[in-house]
Formats: sequence, structure tokens, C-alpha cells
Amino acid sequence: MFGWTGKILKVDLTSGAAHREDIPEDILLGSLGGRGLGVRLMRDFYGLDPFHPDMPLIFAVGPLCGTSSPTSARMSAVSRSPLTGTIYDSSCGGLFAHKLKAAGLDALMITGKSDRPAYLKVTGEESSVDDASSLWGLDTLDTMTALMEHGSVAAIGPAGENGVLFANIMVNAANSVGRGGLGAVMGAKNLKAVVVDGGAKTLIADEEVFKKGREDVMRLFKASPIIFGELGISEFGTPALVDLMKQRRMTPTANFSKTYFEAASDYAGPALKRTYQAKKEGCFGCPIRCKKVDSCGKALPEYESASHFGALNNNSDIHSIVKSNELCNALGMDTISMASTIAAYGEAKGRFFAPDEIIELVKKTALREGGGDDLALGSARVCAVLGVPQLSMSVKGLELPAYDPRGAYGMALAYATSNRGGCHLRAYPIANEILRKPVATDRFSFSGKARIIKIAEDTNAVADSLLTCKFAILAASLEEYAHILTGVTGVEYSAQSLLKIGERIVKEERRFNCDNGFSAKDDMLPKRFFTEAGTSGDGIEIPPIDESRFIEELKKYYKMRGLNANGCFEQ
Amino acid sequence: MRDQIEKYTDKLLKDGLAMPGSIRFYALDDELIVSKDDDWKPVFEAVLEELSVVGLLLAEPTLPFADNLIARSSDSDTRIYPKDSEVKTFLHDIPFIRRSALGEAGELAKAIATILRERKGLIIEGVGFVATGTVTLEQAYITYSSIFHATFIKYLLELLEHGWQLPGEQEALERFKNDWSQPYDVEKLAFRDGPLTARSEIIEEICAVGRYTVESGLVDSFFGNISLFDDGIIYISQTGASLDELEGLIDPVPMDNSSTYGITASSELPVHRRIYETSNYSTIVHGHPKFSVIMSMLCEKRAACEIADCGKDCPETRFINGVPIVSGEIGAGGIAKTVPPVVKEHGRALVYGHGLFCAGTNDFKDAFSGMVQVETLCRKRYFEMLAANL
Ligand code: SF4
Ligand SMILES: [Zn+2]
Ligand SMILES: [Zn+2]
Repeated sequence: MFGWTGKILKVDLTSGAAHREDIPEDILLGSLGGRGLGVRLMRDFYGLDPFHPDMPLIFAVGPLCGTSSPTSARMSAVSRSPLTGTIYDSSCGGLFAHKLKAAGLDALMITGKSDRPAYLKVTGEESSVDDASSLWGLDTLDTMTALMEHGSVAAIGPAGENGVLFANIMVNAANSVGRGGLGAVMGAKNLKAVVVDGGAKTLIADEEVFKKGREDVMRLFKASPIIFGELGISEFGTPALVDLMKQRRMTPTANFSKTYFEAASDYAGPALKRTYQAKKEGCFGCPIRCKKVDSCGKALPEYESASHFGALNNNSDIHSIVKSNELCNALGMDTISMASTIAAYGEAKGRFFAPDEIIELVKKTALREGGGDDLALGSARVCAVLGVPQLSMSVKGLELPAYDPRGAYGMALAYATSNRGGCHLRAYPIANEILRKPVATDRFSFSGKARIIKIAEDTNAVADSLLTCKFAILAASLEEYAHILTGVTGVEYSAQSLLKIGERIVKEERRFNCDNGFSAKDDMLPKRFFTEAGTSGDGIEIPPIDESRFIEELKKYYKMRGLNANGCFEQ
Repeated sequence: MRDQIEKYTDKLLKDGLAMPGSIRFYALDDELIVSKDDDWKPVFEAVLEELSVVGLLLAEPTLPFADNLIARSSDSDTRIYPKDSEVKTFLHDIPFIRRSALGEAGELAKAIATILRERKGLIIEGVGFVATGTVTLEQAYITYSSIFHATFIKYLLELLEHGWQLPGEQEALERFKNDWSQPYDVEKLAFRDGPLTARSEIIEEICAVGRYTVESGLVDSFFGNISLFDDGIIYISQTGASLDELEGLIDPVPMDNSSTYGITASSELPVHRRIYETSNYSTIVHGHPKFSVIMSMLCEKRAACEIADCGKDCPETRFINGVPIVSGEIGAGGIAKTVPPVVKEHGRALVYGHGLFCAGTNDFKDAFSGMVQVETLCRKRYFEMLAANL
């Protein structure tokens, strides 16, 4: 086959058995890879608890991985989230994806539970489950260093071992399988790390077509002010957005009780660059290089992390923000959920925490010491226990990222419809509502947003399955990537046919969730956004969201997706 | 979606772009919304089936210029090639379907869909302009107004060059001349006296002046930008913002890039920045008034000149009644280089085939009346030339 390897490695940690299987060609062609393939493979596992030994943890790459297609050396991890209970996928960049493909695999599916700490080693055609007792308790960086000689490493830290419900799997100092707690799923399997290596090459069917598509994408990147402009993310990383969200008065502040944080500039893109002499780094094989590291090579925070450890916690101390971010990476935890859980806890306790206290709480959460033991369960559970469930700023239990929905109504809708809970990346309406690409939409209007969100969800499902970065889709479109895909695989794809695939993936996820008891009641925003105004000023009004108008648009979304009024399928 | 239909129907009427009663929107919400149910509905329903867009617009323009261009074209032509640069980049060319080729509904729908798969809009002779929106209905409105703008400019240039060719053409133009020769009434517009320093006041004034440019009929709303410079900060309209709806769409961009607010600013920010860097001006209004664009493209030396692409490559500063005309494409190497030096010296610059930049010292009064003066002058000169040529 061109593009795909056609192989999956299935490993049962309970018995230690491992075998390679062929993946039926029609499944690959119809699911592409990554998220689509993972979701397809999860079909038989709904109803299982995320921590059940039989629950699979799937790593899947895409057909473009291993080629020079821009931003395509990425992988998805797929399972069921212990934080949200939904089906869950998360994509990340890094050499690991490339090496997994080079081991001759499109996917790796891990089930069972090892009776002692273990790590999985895949070297080309060979694989083994080895003892990791000596690694248990190490942070992610030390774990990677210890296993580096065997290949590229994906590892959990103490947070994953201790069952923090938003524990990450880290594949580099800063590349994470984030948000939904798949690190805890890995920890429950007693699996400390996966290390992969191989030398297989990805075959390309038509070099000419591939090259043309590749050049088109690069041209669009270069022409994009957001990507390569003097103020864009290649220059400042995603913290370029700190200023922008501040100016739009939609910076979630003090646990979303306000939408404007004057001191945000203290840790914005230019401040980070100045204070830490930020240098560019990127995912393996990416020309954009949006990641930023300090002079010693330590990863600096992304926009979401900076804003949430900052404004959301009423904290303008840049060192506290950078340190908290660094700890989350080392301990293997999601920064958005961690920061948001601390902020909710702060509001519940009647005061936000001081810069140093925040750092301490991060540590305690990963180690589940003292108050950290509760925080490890995420804001929804903590706030429920404290009797203030309304203070958890989450959807389906997933903490909302750093775009206040009162400042972008498409974002409000997309938080609600997302199949993995309160996530900005499923549809990224920030593109049209804030960045004004491909065209601007009125951010304070729901008009037409249901369709825009549906199409964007389908588009991003494709991006997550081909495994290209969301930022690539900001500048280039599925059209160019369809050409690249056709060139690589020799199979004719168009933007239209890809969108159909995206639509099927989103539908399959919905079905998984509905089968697990999810419905319209879960596609809901925290009450605060409907009852409290944001922080207006500078000619920008931030009123509460009109709830009935929100629900009207949600109903339209259901209709377009072929769902009933309860957000599920008729049967 | 219904609110968008209403809004852009109103705008088309207010801007004088479409005939009352001729505006039809076909929009996909959770179901198809049709603003006017007539014989065109089945045609455009079928077109929608073929495309992945959210809406279509069909309306009849208030001027017959596009139809005249088609009638004047040779039988083998299938497209109109705009002469002004902004529309050229935005639309490439404008395909048309001749009245004589209008077949039965199903076939017409196929023909329209085939064209719209590669273009944002087209002209149906004797019927009107068709435009699509892939994300919003605003896109259809913008495309419609761009076709209007492009055919307006192209037709009037055609007349200068080749004279009357169609029956009734001259009479129609006489009527047009009377309609379009009303003086722009600046006196009744209220401008704040500068220098403006309070942020809220600055923002309000920019929004007000943006509205004036459109409401006075000087420019179409979509193409253009406006800024004010105060205390190291350029307050500038965002990319893709309509001049008559700037509320909430002004970016405060620091001159020294100490914040990233400028990411979403107008793509002509480098021109504004350079003007403020090199001169004492503190306000700039930029738009594409039609007669200014037309006159910028007339050059006596054309026949003898060796340069093929005037809009891009002309190295000269030409003048029309003391107003300098320069060339250059959008971007750092283009108008960001050519415009600032002449604005510094003359307070204004016409850009070949593109539009007009006018600067002011303290407030927007000078900049705005500069724009009015230049457009009035160009309009007068155009009709004089037309009379002299024919
Ligand atoms: S743009 Fe950034 S996140 Fe995306 S692939 Fe490149 S470096 Fe990675
Ligand atoms: Zn001619
Ligand atoms: Zn312009």
C-alpha cells in the first residue's frame, strides 16, 4: 500500500501477548487514520469503564506521516476519558508518531493490565513488554531520558500513575496527549511508557501530485499573517493570542466571572519572548514551529496555559505561570484542566490563590497529597463535593479553555456540541470569529453558526485523522490536503469526499456517547454564561448569552446532523 | 439566517446597488430559506444542491453597465476582465451567461453551478448578478458589490476609449450623469475637533467617520480602511471590516509591536504605519471611490510606454490637478513603499487602479474632505473628457 502500512499491533498487557494484524483496506480508506481509525476501532467497547482492563488505549498515525507533508508527523491517542466519560481522542506532534509509522504501523492498540509497572518496547517488527518498576514515580522527562536509547518515548508521569483524571501522556518535553486524562488510562494499565523505533519508509504513489500539493500549502502558510506574519504564531507562538483576547474582552478571568484582565500583557507573547529569550521550536517536521522554549530549552506555556494560570486565577506573575506549566509537563498533567480546577476551587473557597500557592497546588495534585487529592478529580467533581457545582466551568466535565464564550457565540455553541466536552479545537470558530479567517463572522450573533460549526467539526475530524495540525487548516484548506493525500496514497480524494468522512467520524463519536447515556442535557454551558455579563469596555459590550437563542441554534445543529431533539439517534 | 438576509437586502438597497424587488437570497440554515418565491427558486435550489455553500444571492443592478459590457463584447467572449486591481485579485474575472443562451431551468442550473465551482459570482445578461457565500451571506453581498464596482469602472473606461456603440446608450448615460453628479454634502457631517486623545473618543470618531464615507456615497463599504495615530498607537480598522460597521472592530496597534493586536488589523496597516512614521499626519482614510479609481488609470503616455503592468510597475508619480498618482501592489514592497512619500508631501495619494489615501493633521475633517475633493474633481474631469472625446 501507498501511504498506509496497513498494519496494527495489538498488545494485551495482562498476558503480555502481542501480534500484528492487517487492517482491512476499506477501513483505512474510509477512516483515514488517527482519530477516525481510533474511533472506528473503539466501536465494540462502549459501556466499558475507562479504567476497565479491557478498555483499549489506541495510538494511531495517518497516511501522510513519514512524508514531508507539512505538519503531518502527528498521532492521535484514542480511548474513553475518565474525566468526561465520553469517547476521547487527542492529537499531538513529536518524533514518536514518525517512529511508530517507521515501525511499520498505522496503529497500536493496547488492552489489559500488567501486574507490575511495565513499558512496551516496539522495535521494527519486534515488540516486548518489559519491567518498569525502577521507572515508576519518575517524572516524564527522567522517564524519557531513561528509555531514550530504545527509541522515541511516550510516557506518563506521577499524575498518570496516581490516577489524576486529567493526566497527560507526554511524548516530548512539551508535546502532550492532552486534556481528557488518557494518561490515567495508561496508568491504570500499569503502563509507564511506550518506546518505538523503526526504519520503514512511507511509500508515495505519485511524487508529482504530492509535490504540487505540498508547494500549495507552503505558499498559503507564507501568505498567512497569523502563521508567518510579523505578529503571528511562528514568531510569538500561540501566546500571540493573549493580547488579542484581551483586546476582544474575552479573556476568562477569575474563574470566568470577568472577561478582562488588565495585567494579561505581563505574560503575553512579547513579554514571554523578552523575559525568557524565547526561541522557536516545533513539532517534528513542522515548518511553522509555533512552540517556544527558553534559553535552556525548557518549554514555555501555550496560550491556553498562560491565560488560565494567569487571568483565570487572577495571577499576573509570569514566573508562577511558567513554573506551573513546566510542572504540569514534567508531572504529566493537562494545564487547562489543572489551572481551571484551581481557579474553581479558589472561587469556591472565596479567594484566588497566590502565585506560589498555585505552584504548590499543582505539585500536590499530581502526587495527590492534601487538598490535591480532590483537585485530581477535576473541577466538576471538586465543585460537586463542595456543594457549588455551578462553579465548575466545564462542559461534559471538561474544563473550558481560554476563550470566553460570551465573546464568541460560535465558540459557545462548539463548546456544547463537542463530542469530547468543552474543547476549542473541535471546530475552532475562533478562526472566523476572532482571526477573521477565511472570512469574518459576527462574533455576537448565532445566525448561521450551527452550519458553520457543523462544517468546521467535520473539517477538523478530517485534520485529526489525516493528522495535520489545526494551524495548517487556518491557512491552507482541505482542498490542498486532499491533493497531498491523493498524491501520497494514489486514491482519489477531494475536499468534498473528505468532509463526508469527517461527518461519519463525528457521527460515530456521537453514537458512542449516546450509547453511554449522553444526550442534549450534556450539550450545555455552565449557567454563569447565560446569567452574568462579561466585562464591557472600549466600545465592546459583553452581555450574557441569550439562552433561548443558544438552544434554538443547538436544535438546528441537531437537525443538520440527523439527530433528534435530544441530541441522539432515533432507533 | 433571516436576520442576515434582511440586513444585506437593506444594504443592497441603501447602497443603491440593486433594484427594489429584485433581491433574492437562497440560504441554508437548518432548512432552505428563500426570500422570494418565484420561477428562479427551482433553478437556484438545484444550484445549491451542486455546491457546498451556505447561500446564493441573485439581484438586478441599478445600472445597466454590466449588460452593456456584455452587449459590446465580441460573440466569443465569456468573461469580463476587471480593470481595477483590488477586484481583479478578489474575483480574477467575471464570467457571464448571455440572454441568448438561457435554456430550460435544469440546464441553466447546471451551467450556473459549473461556473460557481470556480468563481464567486457571475452575470446573467438581462437578469442580474449571482453571488455565493461559502460561510456567510455577507460574502455574497461583498461579491455582488465587487461585480458592481468592477463593471462600473470598466464600462466608463470603455466609453472613453471606444465611444457609443449601443442604441440608447448615450441617453442612458446622460441620465446617469445627472443622478451621479450631486455634490457630496460634507457640511452637515459632524467631526470632532482634534487632537483626540481619549481612547473611547478616538474609537467612536473612527466608527463615525467610517460610516460617513459610505453613507455619503463616496465608497462601497467593504474595501477600505481608516486609522488614527495617537501616543505611539495606531487605531486601525480590522481586516475585512465594513467601513460603516466598525463598532468593536478597531485594533489599537502599538508602533513598536509591543503587543500583537495588529494580527487582525487591515492588511494595509504597513502603509498607515509608514505614513505615521515619516510624517506629522495623525489620521488616514482609505477607500476606493469609483471616479478616482477610473481617473488613476488614464495616462497620456500609455501608447508610447514600455511598461506592461502599470498598476504594478509604473515608477512615476503622475498628477491629476495636483493630486499625485502612484503604483504598487498591496504589501511591504508595493504601496507601503510608494504611497507614504507622496502622502507626506501632498497629504493624499491616488493608487493606480486601486483607490485613494487621504491624511489629516489633527482630526478627520481634512482627511475626509480631501477624499470628497479628489472624488468630486475626478468625477468632473471624467465627464469633461467624455464630452470632449465624443
Ligand atoms: S504549527 Fe505548531 S503545533 Fe502545529 S505542527 Fe507546527 S509546531 Fe506543531
Ligand atoms: Zn472596447
Ligand atoms: Zn484598498
